[in-house]
Amino acid sequence: MKLTGWIFIIFSWGLIIGMLTFCFIKVFSKKEAK
Amino acid sequence: MSEVKKRDNWGSRLGIIMAVAGSAIGLGNFLRFPAKAAANGGGAFMIPYFISLFLLGIPLMWIEWTLGRYGGGFGHGTAPGIFHSLWQKNRFIKYFGVIGIFGPLVIFIYYLFIESWTLAYSFFALTGKYTALMDQNSLRSFLAGFQGLEKNQYFSGIGIAYAFFLATFLLNIWVIYYGIKGGIEKLCKWALPLLFIFGLVLMIRVMTLGSPDLSKPDWNILAGFGFLWNPDFSALKSAKVWLEAAGQIFFTLSVGIGVILTYASYLKKADDVVLSGLTAAATNEVAEVIFGASIIIPAAFVFFGSVDIKSIAQSGVFNLGFVTMPLVLNKLPLPALFGFFWFFLLFLAGITSSVSLAQPAVAFLEDEFNISRKRAASIFGIVSFILCQPGIFFLGRGVVNELDFWGGTFFLVVFATIETVLFIWVFGMDKAWDEIHKGADMAVPRAYKFIIKHITPVFLFIILGMWFIQEWLPIIMMKNIPGADKPFVLGTRLGLLFVLIILAILVKIAWRRKKLHGGRRV
Repeated sequence: MKLTGWIFIIFSWGLIIGMLTFCFIKVFSKKEAK
Repeated sequence: MSEVKKRDNWGSRLGIIMAVAGSAIGLGNFLRFPAKAAANGGGAFMIPYFISLFLLGIPLMWIEWTLGRYGGGFGHGTAPGIFHSLWQKNRFIKYFGVIGIFGPLVIFIYYLFIESWTLAYSFFALTGKYTALMDQNSLRSFLAGFQGLEKNQYFSGIGIAYAFFLATFLLNIWVIYYGIKGGIEKLCKWALPLLFIFGLVLMIRVMTLGSPDLSKPDWNILAGFGFLWNPDFSALKSAKVWLEAAGQIFFTLSVGIGVILTYASYLKKADDVVLSGLTAAATNEVAEVIFGASIIIPAAFVFFGSVDIKSIAQSGVFNLGFVTMPLVLNKLPLPALFGFFWFFLLFLAGITSSVSLAQPAVAFLEDEFNISRKRAASIFGIVSFILCQPGIFFLGRGVVNELDFWGGTFFLVVFATIETVLFIWVFGMDKAWDEIHKGADMAVPRAYKFIIKHITPVFLFIILGMWFIQEWLPIIMMKNIPGADKPFVLGTRLGLLFVLIILAILVKIAWRRKKLHGGRRV
């Protein structure tokens, strides 16, 4: 796999995992607050 | 003021997130996405893909969640009623909403048969019925025999496939029969985590394949990932690649179908839609970009090499899922177990989508004709069972492709365009912005007010126009359909037109009944 391939996979996976983590942290923190 | 019947509700916030994500995660996440990415620039495909996600997919997702919750406040769970609530002065707008029931119904009637194949193959994997087959031709023949397209040493007719169809059909109706909280939410709450576990197990298995054939060291897993992820930037010059990426976002998020409208209509007025919508979209993306891209294409590369993988990637979704992947798993230790994981993962992805596709029609009967859920589910069961039959018995005659084009492609983009126009220009952007933020647990970035108002509709109109000229016109004119199949395709079109007219008549009857009863529900 080329370096650019690694860059794309890390960027894509990072973005999605980051988005999911951000969302679920917010979802569960709200649930606890209620 | 009309008397609004007590409607079903979601039991928890996680319940609706799981249900919407379950609706979005389907066979396409694991089969369509990796094939599209591999054929359209590899890693470079992710540039138009993410642009489409943020400028088209997520805004449409928020629009549908918001419209659904808004319509639910008026006791409407489907597009005819929701559109009418938005634009009460217009007598005709409710008829445009018919697409929001028609589209999911049409997808349901062919999707269910395909979903039943995944259940059947899960069973075949465990019983070792295909696990000894070690070449593409044998597995193709196995699939054709199972589908009833030919009689061979594996199957003497369509009987077994039909039995699995019946089991899948009854399972779906059973879930719908128990309603939103008692059926769909319960199903999605265990099916989605299980799907993610199976996806993770298969991904780890594929990642640890290494280089199974020592005589071909280049056929290794890293090269397999490279085949999918190494960017070909020249692909970005092609308008087709951008359209493919936008199309994939449409299909994967289940926007433009009418399902999210219905699901969101069961929210309470003060329930959040911003964070819940984004979470459901993010969950779907994990299944697609992480699991979907890490299983079938890299695994197939390891066993078939850089030359054959190109034709495999373009061989179509059925071939990838039911021929290539079982063949790969048959070459590994424990083929029965991993074969079961693969097909049961697809089955879970399928059933969480198919129950959502049934829901708009059931909600329409419940809300607009004021009949009980159990009766509505029974009526839906009888009607949809009859409608499923042409797709099963005329599979090889282009019927399923035709249903997929109208239900799963054409009307999807048309419907998304209608609801976006209504949301922005009829409801009004300022009012819409306030409506999105009612009960919101996070603020939508301000830039999205501009994106939703200007970029998303322009994006939609470009897609609509380009697809119409490049892809739809030849399909509508039946240019690539063999002569022998044309009567079946034409018959399917007439049948679909009949269903569309019946739904429009039902809308007319429902509204007339309400009018006769002085605005009160009957």
